[in-house]
Amino acid sequence: MKKQRRAGSRLLMGLVFLFLYAPIFLLIVFSFNSGESSTVWQGFSLHWYKQLFHNRIIMESVYTTLLVSLLATVIATVVGTFAAIGLYSMKRRWRTPLLTINNIPMMNADIVTGVSLCLFFAAFFQGWRSFARWFNEAQDMMELPVRLTLGFATLLIAHIAFNIPYVILNVAPKLRQMDKNLVDAAQDLGCTWMQAFWKVILPEIKPGIVSGALIAFTMSIDDFVISYFTAGSATSTLAMTIYGMTKKRITPEINAISTLLFVTVLVLLLVKNMREIRLERQASRRPAFSPADDTASARVVRFSPDTRRTVKRIAAVAAICAIAAGMFTLGGAARSQRVVNVCSWGEYIDPELITQFEEQTGIRVNYQTAESNEALYSLLMSGGGDYDVIVPSDYMIAQLIEEDMLAELNYDNLPNFSLIDDRFKNLPYDPENKYTVPYAWGTVGIIYDRNKVDEELTSWSALYDDKYAGDVLLINNSRDAFGIALKYLGYSVNTTDEAQIREAYALVADAMERNVFQGKVMDEVFQKMEGGNAAIATYYAGDYLSMVDNQADNVDLAFSIPEEGSNWFVDAMCVLKEASNYEEAHEWINFIASTEANLANMDYIWYASPNTTALEQYPAYYEELYEEPLDPEVYEIMAAPQEVLDRCELYVSLPPKIRALYNDLWITLGI
Amino acid sequence: MKNKLSGFAVPYVIWMALFVVVPILIMVMYAFTTSDFYATAENFSRMGAYLSVFVRSFRLAVIATLVCLLIGYPMAYVMAKEGPGFQRMAMALIMLPMWMNFLLRTYSWMSILENNGLINQLFDRIGLFDLINHIGLAVASEPDKYIPITHFQMIGTSGAVVLGMVYNYLPFMILPIYSVIVKLDGSLLEAAHDLGASSVTVFRKVILPLSLPGVLSGVTMVFVPSVSTFAISRLLGGGTQMMLGDLIEQQFLGGAYNPHLGAAISMVMMVIVVVCMVVMNNFGEGEEQAVML
Repeated sequence: MKKQRRAGSRLLMGLVFLFLYAPIFLLIVFSFNSGESSTVWQGFSLHWYKQLFHNRIIMESVYTTLLVSLLATVIATVVGTFAAIGLYSMKRRWRTPLLTINNIPMMNADIVTGVSLCLFFAAFFQGWRSFARWFNEAQDMMELPVRLTLGFATLLIAHIAFNIPYVILNVAPKLRQMDKNLVDAAQDLGCTWMQAFWKVILPEIKPGIVSGALIAFTMSIDDFVISYFTAGSATSTLAMTIYGMTKKRITPEINAISTLLFVTVLVLLLVKNMREIRLERQASRRPAFSPADDTASARVVRFSPDTRRTVKRIAAVAAICAIAAGMFTLGGAARSQRVVNVCSWGEYIDPELITQFEEQTGIRVNYQTAESNEALYSLLMSGGGDYDVIVPSDYMIAQLIEEDMLAELNYDNLPNFSLIDDRFKNLPYDPENKYTVPYAWGTVGIIYDRNKVDEELTSWSALYDDKYAGDVLLINNSRDAFGIALKYLGYSVNTTDEAQIREAYALVADAMERNVFQGKVMDEVFQKMEGGNAAIATYYAGDYLSMVDNQADNVDLAFSIPEEGSNWFVDAMCVLKEASNYEEAHEWINFIASTEANLANMDYIWYASPNTTALEQYPAYYEELYEEPLDPEVYEIMAAPQEVLDRCELYVSLPPKIRALYNDLWITLGI
Repeated sequence: MKNKLSGFAVPYVIWMALFVVVPILIMVMYAFTTSDFYATAENFSRMGAYLSVFVRSFRLAVIATLVCLLIGYPMAYVMAKEGPGFQRMAMALIMLPMWMNFLLRTYSWMSILENNGLINQLFDRIGLFDLINHIGLAVASEPDKYIPITHFQMIGTSGAVVLGMVYNYLPFMILPIYSVIVKLDGSLLEAAHDLGASSVTVFRKVILPLSLPGVLSGVTMVFVPSVSTFAISRLLGGGTQMMLGDLIEQQFLGGAYNPHLGAAISMVMMVIVVVCMVVMNNFGEGEEQAVML
């Protein structure tokens, strides 16, 4: 009976641990996969580990994560310990309300803490801006920076803010257990209160401090939500990098870094546990020791505390030095090197170009991506986007110009602008072409897997068809999702007729209701379609071609621009009015507009280039590079011929009222 | 001496005022204003449209919390019955996954649950779908119209979201319960047995009431992050299972910029969660130290 119960409880534990560790085990296994898939095993290789150390984005985010967690832990532990001592020497009347406030960050959902801090920082920056302007005008001894943005400092503050309560919570019970008379006794015996603190209080509450620090560190490392709202665009913790990647293709480098982290922690835990177990065994064996042994161990005991303390002190000093050095190099690098902050879309640049540009000019490129035009706009508005160059699409450019957020460009510093085809100059979004240099253009079409769809798709109707229920991916931005529906219904994508927009909404909502859509995706579409996890999606022509490049064996993708017509778009580079690196931004734009860069980009991202020569030369370039001619069909998908473009419309910026309607309907759709 | 030491808390009190109280006040201010900062209650009256998101969030979070409790309590209980070395190891093993970021672990589930993912591949290998299709074809009234299945739809369902929550937050349930049970006074149990109580009665009358603080803090620690998550519902729910967290995120950094509405939703969520917690803490005297791991 007893044995049975024991077996049962072991079984339960086994199952729980299996549940907890199976996904982790999978992650680890696939970090050794030679292919890029996370579901199909293609052979053993250490390739991703090698790649990992060349991936600047991942390595920097690991560094940021560790630095912010360590600093936040140290600061929170010190402040929290003192605060706990202070709070417990207060009268109850004061202590109780303060402790309740202390509990707020722990009780609140992370997202509420994140959002409130995000709003607080935004408000503070606004206040600071007026103050700095006034201050700079009032005197000219020193110049205060006018523009502050979310970044490492705000991230650190946020981490400290949510760590301190955990420290207090762990220290407080130890303080309560401590005999208050001890402190009085120490003082009666001639200790100053400082000495009493160091010699009496601190040793008593040490276990609480240690466990508080540990929990604070764990919370910092594991945090995503609060960082997401407070780090802004330029700083990224590992979690934020991963979140960004889950939207596109996760590279197995992420598996590799998580394996390394996991193994490190595992080893640390094992060592700690082993040591404790060994110490316990020694302690239980000690009475049996012979006298000789006893003196030996006594000597060890006599010497060891001192040595241990010295070692600890050295370690602490070394750690502090390392952190300080890290901070200085970080700060120093930021100050001395020229940088340009670029925000673009996922999978939208040949990474080689970034390296080339950095080598040529010595300007460091901080390259970030946003998910959609709407998300980019949110980021800019909430003060999270510290960018110089952005690459929005046509209608968003018009909106940004309208709201006076873009800087006029200095075309004297952009000689390569002359290489841009006249077709892409002076378009409706920037009629006098004062703000933009086109980056790429293309069409929106329907992408489907021939192995799952046994007909040629030539109409948008397939998107709303019960036949493909659960296998259709809806594009995750209001403009495209409703624009396509409008086209299908025979209206203009730029209609300002509310009834037509509501009709389009009803069409999409109805399909949603019937569970036609498997999900709403932006760049997640890559892994979904490539891996054969969905049958139909709407996405951009260039991305279709790069999906074909990466499709799994049992997937056969096709693309078409339906008869009803579609949207064609131009993405163009612009400089933000608040850009702190105006000159560098121009150098970057000019570099990207060159024919060579356009060819390289076209080859990498498969979007058509607006550069006349590059567009014409691309087939030849391809042939030279791959020693086979470019399939004319592929070229046609990239650079849609005029008769296709005639079927398509360019988005124009909608009036604010219609934009609000789009937003409302879009949110309602998600419910 | 008392007053001297209480001075230690002053920097933190200022810090709290600045980075805890003021941000929440600002959030409340946003919630009650329009984009031109005119006072309004419109943000709240509009919220009725999002009732179903509230309902879904709370429903899924409650389910996830219950599942965590059902797995976590027995787990904590049997763990506490093991030897000290084993216990320490088990504790470490439960804490360990938390050091790997939860997004990674959630991502791993994605590759397991996809239509073309590991589970569906496995079922396909062992011929489960063929079997089902054979049976389906045989019993279908109109065999021509029968659509053979090739996979089970797991990703993008509410089940997947609950699974993600349970997986990520289970340790938060196990640890507090365990830390309470392990500290139970053994002599109490002996006394109960000596006084003639059966094992079931001992559990019901002694262990369960005494472990209630642990259960309460476990429930809190699972429920609050569950109800407000947005990454899990986004990754495993495929954007079709919109939760409160997604709704809020959309208003700030997502596709529909409106921080005033976002602040209002955050505020309502905060209030509901606090009310839930106060009600729960009245059930049992919520003991602070139970929250400690």
